Amino acid sequence: MLLLAACGNGEEAPAANGDIPDGPTIELRGQDFSEAITLAEVYGQYLASLGYDVDIHTPAGFRDEAISDLEAGTLNMIVDYIGGSQAHLAPDTEPSGDPDEVMEIIRDAYADIGATVLDYTPAIDGDAFVVRGDLDAETISDVADMGLVLGASAQCFERPQCYIGFTDVYGIDFADTQTIEFGPLLGEALDAGEVDAVVWNDTAPQIEEFGFKVLEDDEGIFPAQNIAPILDDSLIEAYGDDLVAALNDLSAMITTDDLLDWNYETDIEFRESDDVATEWLEAQGLI
Amino acid sequence: MSALLAQRAVPRETTLWEWFTDPATWSGSGGIVVSLGDTVLLCVAVILTSTLLSVPSAAYLAHRRLAQVSSAWLVNMGRALPTFAVAALLVPISLRGGYGFEPWPIFIALTLLTVPPMFLSTYVAVKEVDQAAVDAARAMGFTERSVLLSVELPLASTVIFTGLRVASVQVVATEPIRAFLGGDGLGRYIRDGLGQNNATLTIGGTILIAALAGLTGIVFSATERVVKPFGVRRLRTDRGPRPGESDEADLMEVPEPGGGDHAAAGRVR
Repeated sequence: MLLLAACGNGEEAPAANGDIPDGPTIELRGQDFSEAITLAEVYGQYLASLGYDVDIHTPAGFRDEAISDLEAGTLNMIVDYIGGSQAHLAPDTEPSGDPDEVMEIIRDAYADIGATVLDYTPAIDGDAFVVRGDLDAETISDVADMGLVLGASAQCFERPQCYIGFTDVYGIDFADTQTIEFGPLLGEALDAGEVDAVVWNDTAPQIEEFGFKVLEDDEGIFPAQNIAPILDDSLIEAYGDDLVAALNDLSAMITTDDLLDWNYETDIEFRESDDVATEWLEAQGLI
Repeated sequence: MSALLAQRAVPRETTLWEWFTDPATWSGSGGIVVSLGDTVLLCVAVILTSTLLSVPSAAYLAHRRLAQVSSAWLVNMGRALPTFAVAALLVPISLRGGYGFEPWPIFIALTLLTVPPMFLSTYVAVKEVDQAAVDAARAMGFTERSVLLSVELPLASTVIFTGLRVASVQVVATEPIRAFLGGDGLGRYIRDGLGQNNATLTIGGTILIAALAGLTGIVFSATERVVKPFGVRRLRTDRGPRPGESDEADLMEVPEPGGGDHAAAGRVR
């Protein structure tokens, strides 16, 4: 025990504590699904290990709540999918599969609410049109006349990047629709034959577990969904380029395979997000 | 196109008044009429099942003075079950068994919610019937069956009905959770409203559910007046003390032959 304690102290000492100027506590909260919770833990624990004051809030809500709390000042850092940010902040702009085009739009949109979006990750967690493995289709266009039953979250049914895109851009005539909370129930419903297709995310580990397949978005209605941290400008004023550089370095290391691994750990092995995040950071040599 | 109607997105700017007065809100597969029907059907099924499961067994056990400790224990355990968690746990099981999202998971969860309070109120109501009335019935030669059916149940009926009413209002107010577990019913408006950040839908759905819960209470009170045994209804209007509140003070006024002890006994009481 003594050895351990000594060891712990020894490791903490060289952290760049002295270089970090006084500033506000970084208030961060994950959106309430496992991948986003792990992401918040990864960013939060990494900043904490650098010596910043970080408060990782209990996960709650989704994008709406995250962005409105960022505006309200309850949070001063969020982590979001850039295509989702675009749909939320600039719903009238054209969705794009090119992350740089998306960034151009949301950079301005976030600037309007006094926030700055940093570099995006190579990791992409795109929306996915998921069907059972035995369905005779490769692209979303293939299912236009199949009379499928679609299962999706309530949000999907009002979005041009989702249900409205399927009906208006693809011209799909669904036999019926079912509203299902976003998460593992989508997979259970698809597997049980309650629905024939679900709108999920392509890093859902159940897709492989259940033998589902993801259809290609041949009309390109799904936006680029790389991940980026978004900071309130007050944090950047207080901590400057060091903070920005640290976060950009971290984002550059997160790949789609990492997301898949994390989601496997949390959703299939039922492990805690904070442990999964710590292990990943340790494996990368970041903490 | 019917599927399109079912998922008609309601713009956020829509006011509550516009939403309620739009005919499209009421018709179609996602309309209020169909949703209300779904909700009422499930609630009626749950209330009937729970009543059949709890009232006869509780009345019999209370009459026989059986299982006083174990039934109280079971009932309290049952009350501690979180309804949403029970339903959410049952949904994947139901899906894997090929029974779909509905109705079994939500039906079982709501029945588990309702049986304990119904059982408890019936048990207590029958047990607390004035023992003098029961003894009198026995002395007049009533069989045990008649004592239960003709004396205890009628005298307990007011309390039993109150228990059924409270539990039923609770069922109606809890039923909307099914919309969060792949189901429909009136809860769909709250689910969609929360999901789409649309206050009109959320508030509109809440108003509908509150109204239905209130109406359920009224329907129960009306039913109670009609089905309550004739003799018990008469008790209400009679001026004398009702069974169950037989006046001990009156009894004590009866002059005792000994006289002297009376005052002392009164003070001790």
